[in-house]
Amino acid sequence: MNYLSEELNDVKIGLEIHFQVKGRKLFCDCKGEESDTELGSFTRKLTVVSGEKSEKDIAALQESLKGREYEYIKTENSCLVEMDEEPPHAPRRETLDTAIVVSLILGCKIVDNVHFMRKIVVDGSNTSGFQRTGIIGVHGKFKMDSKIIGITSVTLEEEASKKVREDEKKIVYSLDRLGIPLIEISTDPDIRSPKEAREAAQNIGLAVKQSGMIRREGSSIRQDLNVSIFGGNRVEIKGVSSLSQIEKVLTKEIERQESLLEIARVLKGRSVSTDLLLEDLTNSAFFNNSEIFTKGVRGGKKIYGFSLPGLSGVLNNGKFRLGKEIAERLRAVGIGGFIHSDELPNYGINEKAMNEISKRLGSKKDDAFGLVVLEPSKIEICVEIIQSRVREALNGVPAETRAAAENGTKYLRPLAGSSRMYPETDIPLIPLNSSYIEELETKVPPTVEKRVEYLESMGIPAQEAFSSLWKEYDDVLESFVKDFGTPKVCAKFLSVVYSSENPNLNKARYLTMRFSKGNIPSESLESLYLFGEFKLSESSKLTLLESNSFDYSLQLEDQLGVREIGPEFKIKSESNKKLVKIIEAIVKDNEPLIRERGEGSFKFLMGTVMKQVRGQFEGKEISDTLSQKIRELLKN
Amino acid sequence: MSDALESGDKVEVQWKGTTFSGMFISKDEKITVIKLQNGYNLSLENVSISSINLISKYSPKNVVRGNLTGKGKRVFLLGTGGTIASYVDYETGAVKPAKTAQEMLYAQPDLARVASVDAEIILNILSEDMKKSDWINIAKKVFEKVNQKEGVVITHGTDTLSFTSSALSFLIENPSAPIVITASQRSPDRPSSDAFFNLTGAVKVAQSDLGEVGVVMHSSTSDDTLDIHSGVRLRKMHSSRRDAFKSVNSEPIGTVDGNLNIHWKKYEKVNGKPTKLYDKLSEKVGLLYFYPGLSEEIFNKFAETNDGIILAGTGLGHISNRFLSQVKDYTDDGKIIGITTQCLYGEVNLEVYTTGRNMLEAGVIPLHDMLPEVAYTKLSFLLGNFDHDTARNLLAKNLRGELSERRIE
Repeated sequence: MNYLSEELNDVKIGLEIHFQVKGRKLFCDCKGEESDTELGSFTRKLTVVSGEKSEKDIAALQESLKGREYEYIKTENSCLVEMDEEPPHAPRRETLDTAIVVSLILGCKIVDNVHFMRKIVVDGSNTSGFQRTGIIGVHGKFKMDSKIIGITSVTLEEEASKKVREDEKKIVYSLDRLGIPLIEISTDPDIRSPKEAREAAQNIGLAVKQSGMIRREGSSIRQDLNVSIFGGNRVEIKGVSSLSQIEKVLTKEIERQESLLEIARVLKGRSVSTDLLLEDLTNSAFFNNSEIFTKGVRGGKKIYGFSLPGLSGVLNNGKFRLGKEIAERLRAVGIGGFIHSDELPNYGINEKAMNEISKRLGSKKDDAFGLVVLEPSKIEICVEIIQSRVREALNGVPAETRAAAENGTKYLRPLAGSSRMYPETDIPLIPLNSSYIEELETKVPPTVEKRVEYLESMGIPAQEAFSSLWKEYDDVLESFVKDFGTPKVCAKFLSVVYSSENPNLNKARYLTMRFSKGNIPSESLESLYLFGEFKLSESSKLTLLESNSFDYSLQLEDQLGVREIGPEFKIKSESNKKLVKIIEAIVKDNEPLIRERGEGSFKFLMGTVMKQVRGQFEGKEISDTLSQKIRELLKN
Repeated sequence: MSDALESGDKVEVQWKGTTFSGMFISKDEKITVIKLQNGYNLSLENVSISSINLISKYSPKNVVRGNLTGKGKRVFLLGTGGTIASYVDYETGAVKPAKTAQEMLYAQPDLARVASVDAEIILNILSEDMKKSDWINIAKKVFEKVNQKEGVVITHGTDTLSFTSSALSFLIENPSAPIVITASQRSPDRPSSDAFFNLTGAVKVAQSDLGEVGVVMHSSTSDDTLDIHSGVRLRKMHSSRRDAFKSVNSEPIGTVDGNLNIHWKKYEKVNGKPTKLYDKLSEKVGLLYFYPGLSEEIFNKFAETNDGIILAGTGLGHISNRFLSQVKDYTDDGKIIGITTQCLYGEVNLEVYTTGRNMLEAGVIPLHDMLPEVAYTKLSFLLGNFDHDTARNLLAKNLRGELSERRIE
């Protein structure tokens, strides 16, 4: 299927985009910046009691199945609130304001009251066992090119803890990130291709960043993706951290879902059964040369073999990977090392042993078999999980929550139902009256289009205008152009300045100022900024001297020696040569016109010249050079 | 239309020009709460809603909670308020407290693995609303069970828990089975609640040979160890932490580890003597926290309305010299004035400074390292059940382990 080149109506994608908000944490007075100073730790367990046993949330249940313990590392930016030892404080007003402004940017209706909820999360990432979250805006519309993407909701919630490490029994989290305010934007499933998903995330991100309150650090923006294809079920993909990853992950995931649908079609023609013939093969000689199995047995585990009726070839034939799907499910409950007949002979099991195992497990045509080495107490759950995954394979794509991985996605847990929320009683309702919203409406920044339009009107190229918005230096760019002119030079130079980790604005400003006075050529800006020097020719170079971070000076070294250059200095630079070249070409092309109109041709030619050089040179320099060249031509 | 709606009904709401479908939760004069399909509640102003239409009536599912009684030595659970077991109906978002043994076992699945339980909720009040008559009612019920050698676990709000534990310690003499009180600082609807471990640990202690009132609560912020405190030596020392309860001027009498094994230190075992219930507490006992600027008027009123008062004095147990002559008048009148310290940690000593010596001369009784709340319940017990002279004689004597001669911290 060729879903990459064209939009397909049978792919439905929705985004959940998370932005960390600047400032302090949402429900306490701790700093929002991440901190890695460790101040001891404590351990907890989580228990889920649901109202209805039959509806006991499957996602929650599965996590608790793991029987894990959670260790939390205290940090300088965490307090009793993050430790779940003190009730949450009222959410910070300025954070709430940001969430409202973001909702307004996305065309949402603002709720009458903010009603915080507890969303059950039992992976330990929240010390409380739930995430506090409240809807701020609903039913928005976001315009992207000619398309409108529905915004389901904008919510304000607390960021989860950062996982430090995990093993079978314990997950270790750091409290530093817990409680940082997070804005979650959920779109309707209006997106039709991986490419469109990336564009939507980028455009929504850009629009939201206009609030000026979104954190810029690497991990501060994350996306979850919801994707389904026709005939399948919704799959949620967690933790996509970059825009470029969105497209890649979705492409791989759609391939996976399509392959699962094909598997289902193949299986329809076979007699697939979940009656697995289970045998204890611990004492058989098949595994004597297999390190995986003998090691397990030495450690007190047993080897089990079981038939997988009807699954030969679909477990792994290069195209179908049902074996991997089963292995992922087992790993989620701590059972590793699932081996199946499609990947044999291998792992020290030769063809002869393979055939004998197959015979022993009563395999017929199209049947496969599986092997595991594990504690006898776990075999029951192991078989149950395999049976349930095989049953799901008959229907194609199971509804799942998956994680973005290096090469596609990997299974996390069954898709959580919507029914695991209840009101947060420690935080009273927060009324948002209309006068308050009206006041915030005045703080809504201009749309990205309007802002780009404005920057373009100053002579800044569209591409650089966009990237200044994305990296949030559009204000700086605007002020540079106002102070120094030459919009193209400023835009190009600042894009270099802002591609570094810590842009040095003082240095950038000093250099641009010296360029605007004609002391240095435009080509030298980047090199002087990054390396402190610029080679003008074989025998001359410019050096930037820094006596302290505010005080700079420029030094020129050439045949005449080394000397500081002051504001009066004019450099005859390569850039002038370039300008002269351009103007000479134009003058030559228009010779008949100049001869006819004389110096009166200047006005007309100035327009032609400006089209080519606007923003790169100072206006006076351009007009001086042009009139000089016209005069030179007329003289001859 | 919406007046006839009931919680759980499926509705469609027109609000500010947009439409939601969801579940009707509640409505008051100002606000209508709707639960959206994704689980979020929206609290909408009634005036901003243009219409609510019923889609379908709510039909609650018939929930079978089984008839679990659990496996193991029998323990009686006595609920007195303060929620230690509850479950959440995520469909409507309602948190429901467990009221019967079945519900408790349902809400606390670990419990069924350690004990067979019976349960009764005799009170459902906030612990700050507890009265002396409530302590007596609890004591009567507890007596009935421990007299039959059945261990009892009382669930209680944390705020005044140490008053109740102390009162029960005095009201029930020689218990023939453990009397254990437990509570939670994080409500049990939360996955992180301390209730699960506290209650299971308390039940284990109630199956032991403990012959006094014990209080079982977290020993640290971690879910790995519980402290067993003597009912007359503990105090809530933090407003919100799990490990708020500390034994003061003594060590906890034991701990319960993460595998629910009990590690005893120094504790009273069931001694085989007949269990005795005292069922009276004097209402004319008061507890007064001395502070600079305390007016003589208030002090007089307080002393006049009570037969006995416990003063929480400053430092070693001092009150201002201004009150000395009044104190003498009251003690001459036969009123009992016991002295404890606001410091909580350390012993009262009225021999060190002149003020203290003057107080002794005025007839006060120094109460060693007894906690003010414990002294208050003890004096209520003594004046309720004995004559004044006996009460006076027993107040500073060790009856239930409430004071000690030796402190190491």
